[in-house]
Amino acid sequence: MKTMELSLTVNGHARTFAIAPGDLLLDVLRREGYFGVKRGCEKGECGACAVLLDGKPVNSCLMFAAQAEGRQVVTIEGLARNGRLDPLQEAFLDHGAVQCGFCTPGMILSAKALLDHQPDPTEEQVREALAGHFCRCTGYKKPVEAVLAAAAARKTRSRRKPAAEVMQ
Amino acid sequence: MFDHVESFCRPASVPEALRLLQKGKGRARIVAGGTDLAVAGGDDVRVLIDITRAGLTYIRYKSGALAIGATTTLAEIEESPVLRKLAGGILARAAATCGSVSIRNLATIGGNMANASPAADMATPLLVLEAAAVVAGTRGRRRLPLGEYLADAAAGRFSKSILVEILIPEPPAGKRCGWSFEKLGRTAVDISLVSVAAGIQLDRKGTVTRARVALGSVAPSPMRAETAEQLMTGRLADAALIAEAAAEIARAARPISDVRASAEYRREMSQVLGARALGECVRQAEGGL
Repeated sequence: MKTMELSLTVNGHARTFAIAPGDLLLDVLRREGYFGVKRGCEKGECGACAVLLDGKPVNSCLMFAAQAEGRQVVTIEGLARNGRLDPLQEAFLDHGAVQCGFCTPGMILSAKALLDHQPDPTEEQVREALAGHFCRCTGYKKPVEAVLAAAAARKTRSRRKPAAEVMQ
Repeated sequence: MFDHVESFCRPASVPEALRLLQKGKGRARIVAGGTDLAVAGGDDVRVLIDITRAGLTYIRYKSGALAIGATTTLAEIEESPVLRKLAGGILARAAATCGSVSIRNLATIGGNMANASPAADMATPLLVLEAAAVVAGTRGRRRLPLGEYLADAAAGRFSKSILVEILIPEPPAGKRCGWSFEKLGRTAVDISLVSVAAGIQLDRKGTVTRARVALGSVAPSPMRAETAEQLMTGRLADAALIAEAAAEIARAARPISDVRASAEYRREMSQVLGARALGECVRQAEGGL
């Protein structure tokens, strides 16, 4: 089988993979050990395979790996910083928004893209952002609450920060 | 699914993409967002030609018409300030209903048209706006009405050419215009069971001077409901006219039964959505009387 090189950034690290020209991004990421990228419906319906491409959520089952040449990919493995979970991950845990966890990586990545773009979303905006993610056990109430709580927590943190600087 | 692909090309221009397509001898496929192609699969495909780096991502005015490059994503259309204003924003609103956020970040307007699905969400507003498709082939570019393009694309007539641009002529503007897009899907991310786009213009007395209605998912290709348009033109835009036009919309529909809905249901819903869309258009247009 013919192979080609794919150079991209995954979770902040420059990587080069040997791929087949017809490989889908989902297959390559899982082959390279990013198992947080879940193989679900493979039709773009369930959202379990979502990753961030240049900061925006995409279904990795719907794009060819070669399309990611030179671009920034973030998987759920890339969210924790220095062993500390992202506040969104914490919020999902705190709100019991995780049961089997299969849909969770995709949901959290879509939620992260939403909050990066719209720090103070309405519940409707959160539901719209998560509409492409199927959950078959927890349901959607708790994930939506978790995202709204993470947004609220982020707001409180950013309000506190300047005050602390003033005191110093 | 694409186990026999031998090369993945990223041409930097349309001529280069056309050369690759020619060389592929029927075993090459154009990739834009990839969202339809990846699902369809392709054991016969040997060459993939990614045109997203060929300079076809733009929304700009070009000699009186608005030009949308084929690889402009549905997310870009949804968020475009120009398209949010144009014709009551029907194109941006239709884009916002197409699949999920993560699909709209990949899917392109060109792909939505070239795939020629009867349910393509961008087709009905574009038909109402009397858009044209610009197709590039080895013998140059040609422009054809979108309805014609969609029927030909469904018949597989563009295997040697590339859809490069959608052109939207300046739509009628002003206070006495109204625009609407209505879509019925089983869930927020499902493809449409029926979609209706409409645009009307009234004169000072409330008489319809121009009506455009397009239907999706109720015929082999998205279609204009011309008999309904003709029925409305020259008549007072009141509730009776809307009901009459909606019944005509249902008559014009040629739906089939499939896994998503029966033909009967689709026909009935095209009447309901038609009445809703026309009602919304009239409300907007009457606001300017």
